[in-house]
Amino acid sequence: MNLLLFIGRRLLFIAPQLLGIVLVSFMLVKSIPGDPAVLMLGPTATPEAIASLRNSLGLDYSLPVQFWIYLQHLALGDLGTSWQTTRPVLEDLLQRFPATLELVTLGLLTAVVIGISLGLASAFNRHGVLARIADFYGLGAGSLPDFWLALVLIFVFYTLLQWVPAPLGRIDIAVIPPNPITGFLTVDCLLTGNWEALRSALGHLLLPVMTLGLINAGPILKMTQSTMEKILQSDFSHYQVLCGIPHRMVVRHALHNALPSVVTIISVLYGYLIGGAVLVEIVFSWGGAGQYAVQGVLNSDLYPVLGFVLFSAIFSLFVYLFVDIIYFTIDPRIGH
Amino acid sequence: MSPVLEVEGLYKRFPIAGSRSVVQAINGVSFSIGPGETLGLVGESGSGKTTVGRCIVGLIEASAGTLRFKGANISMPRARRPRDLFGKIQLVFQEPAESLDPLMRIGRSIEEPLLTRGGSAVERRERVLRAVEQVGLRREMLDLYPAELSAGQQQRVGIARAIITRPELIVLDEPTSALDPTARAEIIELLMKIQRELGTSYLFISHDLSTVRFISHRIAVMYLGMVVEQGDAAEVFAQARHPYSVGLLSSVLLPHPHLSIEANISLKGEIPSPINLPSGCYLASRCPLAEERCRHAMPPAEDVGGGHLVHCFRHRDVARYDRITDTFEQFQQEAERILGIHDGLPAA
Amino acid sequence: MHAPVAPGLLPGRAAALKITGLRVEFPTITGQSKVVVRDLDLAIGAGEIVGLVGESGAGKTTLTRSILNLTPTPGRIAAGSVCFGGLDLLRLPERDLQRMRGRDLSVVVPNPRGELNPLLTVGKQIVNIARVHLNLDGKAAQVVALDMLRAVQIPDPERRMKAYPHELSGGMAQRVVIAIALVCSPRFIISDDATSGLDVTVQAQILALLRQLVRERDSAMLFITRDVGIAAHFCDRVAVIYQGEIMELAPCEALFLSPRHPYTAMLLAAFSHNPRLRRGWSGPDTAPRQDGTQPGCVYAGRCPRAQPLCVGSKPVLGEVTPGHWARCYFPLETA
Repeated sequence: MNLLLFIGRRLLFIAPQLLGIVLVSFMLVKSIPGDPAVLMLGPTATPEAIASLRNSLGLDYSLPVQFWIYLQHLALGDLGTSWQTTRPVLEDLLQRFPATLELVTLGLLTAVVIGISLGLASAFNRHGVLARIADFYGLGAGSLPDFWLALVLIFVFYTLLQWVPAPLGRIDIAVIPPNPITGFLTVDCLLTGNWEALRSALGHLLLPVMTLGLINAGPILKMTQSTMEKILQSDFSHYQVLCGIPHRMVVRHALHNALPSVVTIISVLYGYLIGGAVLVEIVFSWGGAGQYAVQGVLNSDLYPVLGFVLFSAIFSLFVYLFVDIIYFTIDPRIGH
Repeated sequence: MSPVLEVEGLYKRFPIAGSRSVVQAINGVSFSIGPGETLGLVGESGSGKTTVGRCIVGLIEASAGTLRFKGANISMPRARRPRDLFGKIQLVFQEPAESLDPLMRIGRSIEEPLLTRGGSAVERRERVLRAVEQVGLRREMLDLYPAELSAGQQQRVGIARAIITRPELIVLDEPTSALDPTARAEIIELLMKIQRELGTSYLFISHDLSTVRFISHRIAVMYLGMVVEQGDAAEVFAQARHPYSVGLLSSVLLPHPHLSIEANISLKGEIPSPINLPSGCYLASRCPLAEERCRHAMPPAEDVGGGHLVHCFRHRDVARYDRITDTFEQFQQEAERILGIHDGLPAA
Repeated sequence: MHAPVAPGLLPGRAAALKITGLRVEFPTITGQSKVVVRDLDLAIGAGEIVGLVGESGAGKTTLTRSILNLTPTPGRIAAGSVCFGGLDLLRLPERDLQRMRGRDLSVVVPNPRGELNPLLTVGKQIVNIARVHLNLDGKAAQVVALDMLRAVQIPDPERRMKAYPHELSGGMAQRVVIAIALVCSPRFIISDDATSGLDVTVQAQILALLRQLVRERDSAMLFITRDVGIAAHFCDRVAVIYQGEIMELAPCEALFLSPRHPYTAMLLAAFSHNPRLRRGWSGPDTAPRQDGTQPGCVYAGRCPRAQPLCVGSKPVLGEVTPGHWARCYFPLETA
């Protein structure tokens, strides 16, 4: 089967998948207790005022009708308005989603570098020092909460050593950020040649990225290690040794075979971290999409939550599509 | 005597997911098995012999054709068969270790087929003990787990499990191919003893011709889902009329350096995929005798005497080309000569 | 103790490979070690095919791997030497061994579809071997690989070079494994039950091919098999192994036509359909299997001819008639 056909077929399924996700999350969000009208008007509101607000928000309609109205707006690119920020959700998300994505992507890249290299090193020599470090690390990283590690890093590198800027947002208040082009601060700095802003942005990224990287390297390391071990014990690896293939090459072929599993765990982490990094975002006052969505949930602010779900669903679907393309190119057995 | 099992025009097709082609696993198989008779069903992997066995015990449903057990129609899967036939047809698997629950004690495994059928615990216990004795296991083994037995003993458990419902037909699906020669010989001997004592009929599925030769009364040779030749065992082995049977027989290596089954017909290549089978004889691409007509039409079954059926246009030429003497018989005589002179030993 | 003379080469033959006093042990939970290959002596002459026949668990695979100094973990080689080309393989550094494996000594394995890397084309896998061992550049290795695929009679070899293992039938994959084993024209080849997964008609083709290629290259071969029938038709000499010890070693004809060891007789009798003959040669089934720690013959417990002497002390592998060796105090008389 050819690759384009394969991708085309996958893309066909994306629209119904998204519709399903929106439906389910709409129902879930609606089932959160709490009346937005009451929260918006505050404790002193009269029942009449609440009733009229409910009416104007469309909360009097039945759920299916509300969903239908939401869908109609969605089709026009209107994700609703957040009553907390009083801005269109789309605008809010376009500003915040790249912040989260930038953080998560760099964090995950760090995790991949740590996880795969340690995993490989330990597979290369099962009894070496690195293997023992990897075992210990895999155990430790799995049992630490990320926000706790973030606080420790802040304490050490900001409070004690003063090596990094204060954990408040993405850039120093005194530094003027470049006009958003992509929304990714570092990329925008590079594009506009704003080196001062770039240095400040990288400084702010350092600790949260380290936090996410150190924590999430754990599962990647474990997966690399166990898959590599399994493959190095498999018949075909033994056979290569019998044929006098150098150890280096045997390990390289094993890594090739291990890639699908490793890529899978990375993609799962990627999708998860968009929302899962929220505690780290809060600790560093990142102002990202996760934080935005949690605020929405806490205040019955429905549209930011739905918008966030939609954004991360689209993101995850594309990550998985990308992963499938990688499988397709790695493994000749897929598609036959 | 009326046959225990009649198979008529059996077909089985497996659709391939996500594609319009089908695997043509069985393509019109007909045979019958008499009471107390063993039919050896031989063929290479991919010939469909296991699928035939599974259709008979009702694990899978045939696409077309009829199966009759003592006259009763059993063409449907196991669950929809008449209740009084439960346990009358049993199956023994190839891998004894895999067919037994590793967490269940032997005694319990053997008893299991009886559980759905009422009867008191005492009665069941008695039947278990009887079955265990029949297959030559010791009573103490009932409390062991499968992993504590040797492969040969595990297969005896598999047989005990099968005979406990007093079946009239047992489908033996390669029961000895996972075993060492000594264990294999013992299992064959046991099966023959059980048949003598209980009069059970066997469908013995195997690719091991030297085993099939001696346990079977009649033999059916399968190739790509078809029985290409069937008949009396001694007759088929001595006078194979289908080029495939000849090829199969001449590939058997007996443990005697001077005895090989010389044949002028040798098959080329390998068994083709059972997807999109060619028109004409399925063997045509591998057969040295194939001619134009073989590639166009499937040769019909022809009786060459005494119920010896052959699907080959050129079976007369096969008979002329190759007069396979019964090398298996010859080997038996040689073995007796070589090993028999020490008869009366063990005492040196 | 083992026989003072390494059992037997045919007269006038130089040894391609000589195993002396090889002993492989596996640790057990009880702390004692289990001997899987015991004091094994075997010499294989240049251009000779020696069969090694035994039931499962006899130590065949452990022996194969140990010859290449790749004893499966947690086993270890406790004693002995494997002489090949004037070198003791068991004492060579891993770097040198790695260079020899696949080039001077190679292995033909069974179940080839599981042994080949599923993500590489078969051409690439043969090319890899040629590049590693023959120091060829990519282009030259490609030519060598293609020639090898032709030599193992794979139809349409140019197209098959680009095929992945899952696209091959069992017989084709077996041919590829043979191509990999023979691409460097090794002096010594071990066939480890290589045809066990194949259908008989294919098996016959593969055996004929293997024999032709080995003879053409004048390589020596250790042909390990569970199938006594194949050994009878394929080998020049045959060794029968039981519980890690050679029980009998003789030229093929002598071994099958006048077996001297009761264990060999039992193996052959298993093919007989005469129950009297079979039962006469198989000992009591209930006999506890010897694990080799007892002083006597490892087969004594199952042997229908065992005497008090057999239980008391271990027989050596002795030459009964010229070239015919048996580990038995009371070897069988010949016809």
